[in-house]
Amino acid sequence: MTTPILKIANVQKNFGPVQALKKIDFEIYPGEVFGFIGPNGAGKSTTIRVLLGIIRASHGTATLFGQDVWRDSVAIHRRIAYVPGDVYLWPNLSGGEIIDLFLRLNGQTHSARTDELIQKFQLDPRKKARTYSKGNRQKVALIAAFSTDADFYIFDEPTSGLDPLNEQTFQDEVLQLKRRGKSVLLSSHILSEVEKMCDRIAIIRDGRIIETGTLAAMRHLTRTTVDVRTVQQLPELAAMAGVHGVQAHADANHVSFAVDADQLTAVMQYLSAHQLVSLTTAPPTLADLFMRYYAADGTRSVEGK
Amino acid sequence: MKQQWFQRTGLLLRVNARQNRVKLTAWLVALVMGMLVIAASFSQIYQTPAALAEIAKTLKTDAMVALFGPVATPVRQTVAAAFAMEMPVFTALILIVMNYQLAVGSAREDEDAGLLELVRAHGVGRLAPLLATALLLTGLNALIGGLLGSGLQLIDMPGATTSGNWVLALGLASTGWAFGMLSLVCAQLASSARGSLMLSYALLGGMYIGRMLTDLQNPQLTWWIPFGWVEKLGAYQAENWLPVGNYGLFGLLALGVALGLNARRDLGAGWLPPRLGRRRASVYLRGPVSLVGRLHRGSLVAWLLASLVLGGAYASVFNTIGDLAQSNPMIKQVLGTAGLAAANRVIVKNFLAILAIVLVVLAAIPALQIMLQLVSDEQKGYLHQLYATATGRWHVWASYTGWAVLTGSLVYLAGLLGMYLVGVQSMTDPLHWSTYWHIFTAYVPAMLVMIAVASLLTGWLPRWRALSWAWLAYAFFSMYLGKLIDLPRWAQRLTPFGFVDKVPVKAVNWATNVWFFGLTVLILMLAAVGYRRRDLAQ
Ligand SMILES: Nc1ncnc2c1ncn2[C@@H]1O[C@H](COP(=O)(O)OP(=O)(O)OP(=O)(O)O)[C@@H](O)[C@H]1O
Ligand SMILES: [Mg+2]
Repeated sequence: MTTPILKIANVQKNFGPVQALKKIDFEIYPGEVFGFIGPNGAGKSTTIRVLLGIIRASHGTATLFGQDVWRDSVAIHRRIAYVPGDVYLWPNLSGGEIIDLFLRLNGQTHSARTDELIQKFQLDPRKKARTYSKGNRQKVALIAAFSTDADFYIFDEPTSGLDPLNEQTFQDEVLQLKRRGKSVLLSSHILSEVEKMCDRIAIIRDGRIIETGTLAAMRHLTRTTVDVRTVQQLPELAAMAGVHGVQAHADANHVSFAVDADQLTAVMQYLSAHQLVSLTTAPPTLADLFMRYYAADGTRSVEGK
Repeated sequence: MKQQWFQRTGLLLRVNARQNRVKLTAWLVALVMGMLVIAASFSQIYQTPAALAEIAKTLKTDAMVALFGPVATPVRQTVAAAFAMEMPVFTALILIVMNYQLAVGSAREDEDAGLLELVRAHGVGRLAPLLATALLLTGLNALIGGLLGSGLQLIDMPGATTSGNWVLALGLASTGWAFGMLSLVCAQLASSARGSLMLSYALLGGMYIGRMLTDLQNPQLTWWIPFGWVEKLGAYQAENWLPVGNYGLFGLLALGVALGLNARRDLGAGWLPPRLGRRRASVYLRGPVSLVGRLHRGSLVAWLLASLVLGGAYASVFNTIGDLAQSNPMIKQVLGTAGLAAANRVIVKNFLAILAIVLVVLAAIPALQIMLQLVSDEQKGYLHQLYATATGRWHVWASYTGWAVLTGSLVYLAGLLGMYLVGVQSMTDPLHWSTYWHIFTAYVPAMLVMIAVASLLTGWLPRWRALSWAWLAYAFFSMYLGKLIDLPRWAQRLTPFGFVDKVPVKAVNWATNVWFFGLTVLILMLAAVGYRRRDLAQ
């Protein structure tokens, strides 16, 4: 495996008595789109602020491009682009001025690509930031970020104010970055977005990373839902290992249930032995995964292992 | 239907009062205590009839009339009367500043921050937030009036009367209140908190200059200027309640206008329509330095103009003030033409020594504003994305600090230039530019120390940055009024301005200047270290 672009090891952050980050570790590799999900107040934005050198980690190390995020922040920032979740802009500058300013602050210029993005996101760059809606302020930050030629892009809930059309534009642009081999850190509550774009995902809860891996690997840890009709009855099903929530339907021999991934083979053998009429299985969605990890009860996250 | 407009005013008032309780208490205590301590010390300052006669004579000079308003004739020489002649203009200015800051703070800043949108979405009447602010100010000013009046009763200065105490206390409170209502009107006209304050202060500045001119020419005309009414109270002499009534009417009228405008205005908008901006940034906007410059361009021009005009207005009365022969024709024979000119010049220079303070305090306001905006821009989230670009903290800190220093110096220079230019026209024997230049070189180093300390607060104790304002207000008090009421030397030296010798009457003390420069550099270095290592908000 290549060396990671971003390496964050055992990072903690205390705000006075509040321990916002307890133990954060993950790595992001070149060309990877990395999803960062977790409930409100879990510490996503705080982690990103540590990465940007805006706040200083109380413990642990974080490096980007092999440089320390606090000490070498300016050198690092030359190679990154960032979009915060809440974009606040100087009220008496126009959107166009702010986009150009952000580009210049990174030693770049307004290019044809910038104009293309302004077109795509349908932003009126002449309006003063005071008069922009939340979504429009977000667009200003997105346009500045996407037209920056960076190596690493950080998005913190970038689409929370965008309409579906602009959200699609955002996803297209991220996929284009991916094709060009850029790395992306995407924190989001929109799971379909994460599911569609991210290669790997970290789940954070209560200041701790509780799971990191590919979506496929995570799915492996959870249950598949199965809807099946058989010729013969299935009396032993409910008692089998790894089978949960068996529900009988009105028509004969029609049940649906959830099955743990590691018991899938055994259950399938049992079903096919009873002569299948129809079978549909649904992989767990990210939302299913989520519900399991987000649940306040900490023990449930290890249940699938 | 009407009641719907004001629904939940009471609730908002309570929330408002609770939210601002620290600020309100600080203002209340500082103002009332300050005023009463001065009142109590007045009988120490003027112990003998001779001292009273002396101050009565001083107050009658044109220079003092320009600063403190005209004196009743015949003047009653009591401690209380001296108090009532020296205090009103100065105290009214401070009270108005308080009312302005609180009024705009609660009527406009919440709105700019989008808070009001949340509030209004609940079952709250359209006009309720504004009315709640107005009621809060009314309560505060009433409290100030009541406490001042009772305090003066307790202190019972020699020559004080009950009606005199109350006309003074209520007169001052009503002045502050009426101007608070006026700033509520301004808050409806401008499209942001900053714009509202600018408009409010422009009106105050205009009235202050107007009353100075009419006081010197024909005090009767001062009745046309609302700010001038406070001089007409005549406490402990020929008492006059008319100003109190006038301010009451004026304030009610202003409140009515503000409510009317508010009802017709969109949330977050002003009466001036928003303009479109540039499609692309100008080539000059390329980094933090040009950014801070671009953001403050408008207010810098406004401050330069205001300072220039105020300086010019002061200078327009130099000739009247520096004319001893006018009041005493014999003097010319005694001193001779050359001697008279020299004596006149000394008088003007003494007057200048006070104006130097007024202008430097004025110049320090935009300087501190820019300096402290480093924190408020950070807290509003404007700097968040800036710091994610390849922009170092030192660079941003230095941009704000640099602009603060430059703005303070330029605004001061503009005020002195205004004085010089008008002085050349108005005086028969004009002062040379070098006099003004000496003032500049004497006071700017002291101002730099104050800016540096504000910078230090932004780096180490951003929550306590309002202390900068308290310090500046104290500097103004100790220098404008402190000289007159014989504030002890140590109390004058609680701010750097206290160390500046009476320039231009005395020579510039370069040893002090070198010392101040060294201190400024040292404090700024500390400030930069603090700003680089602390966590940023957002
Ligand atoms: N400056 C601060 N002082 C004290 N506590 C803080 C500060 N900043 C963040 N926190 C706390 O740290 C925790 C993590 O906050 P953070 O903003 O990182 O959450 P998040 O995962 O981004 O949530 P969301 O999904 O709502 O954006 C929260 O409990 C928050 O209250
Ligand atoms: Mg967040």
